[in-house]
Amino acid sequence: MIPQFEYAFYVWTSYAIFAFVIGWQIVQPVVRRRRILAELREELALETGAYNDPDS
Amino acid sequence: MIWKTLKVGFHRLGSPPTFYRVSALISPWLWGGFALCTLIGLYYALYVVPPDYQQSDSYRILFIHVPAAWQAMAGYIVMAILAVIALVWRIRTTEIMAMMCAPIGAAFTLICLATGSLWGRPMWGTWWAWDARLTSMLVLLFIYLGIMGLYAAFEDRRKGARVACILVLVGVVNIPIIHFSVEWWTTLHQGATIRFFGESTMHYSMMPPLVWMTIAVKLMFGAVLLDRSRNELLDQDRRKGWVRQKVGEET
Repeated sequence: MIPQFEYAFYVWTSYAIFAFVIGWQIVQPVVRRRRILAELREELALETGAYNDPDS
Repeated sequence: MIWKTLKVGFHRLGSPPTFYRVSALISPWLWGGFALCTLIGLYYALYVVPPDYQQSDSYRILFIHVPAAWQAMAGYIVMAILAVIALVWRIRTTEIMAMMCAPIGAAFTLICLATGSLWGRPMWGTWWAWDARLTSMLVLLFIYLGIMGLYAAFEDRRKGARVACILVLVGVVNIPIIHFSVEWWTTLHQGATIRFFGESTMHYSMMPPLVWMTIAVKLMFGAVLLDRSRNELLDQDRRKGWVRQKVGEET
């Protein structure tokens, strides 16, 4: 049997808010971690002289 | 013997590199559990359970509203326990974890308020009422935001965490107010329908999605808490040897 899922606007909006906020909680730490690691790699490369300047 | 092992284990977790390593091991399992419980919970909530005889399908909102509300309060209790440990024993990883509880708790409070408002419109005929339960929940959101703001306001993050931990302990008074608000005052919000001790007024057929979603948000809280704490630790210790070594290894 194929589900109909014909629920009211209120129900779907609630589930959409839930999905959005939970999604943000999942994505935010991943983005922040990537940013911190990128900064650290850059700092480390600068210190060791292995830094490739993208503007040069 | 067991007590001693637990004590040693607890103190070892106070070491940033150990905490970083252990949380990296635990976090994926919590995420996996969250995904599984959410899928089962949503399947029950949107497909299996029958419509309510009075509210029809609108009551399906409670399968996200109630777990979010419980987690908003449980998250605060976790944060308060961590704040006590941080203030008494000055364990830095605990300080960080206490501070990282705030944005997650705020997110659950926001879900609770938004979904409650969306349920209130068709059921009560209004988006919002200044009744004791709703207002105390809004106060909880402001407390969470206040803790986040206070922590971010200090350049010295340890100092910021200690000051914010005191605010956390002051804010604990709001938790029993939220819980008992429906008993102490006459509120538009209904009284407790689910009781851990005693008979629940909710039909047993509606329980499975609520249980699955409650477990899911608890696992998710744990996973995000560990991930955020790891990031904060990495950021704070960016000049320390263990972070440099870790980044060097990963590069």
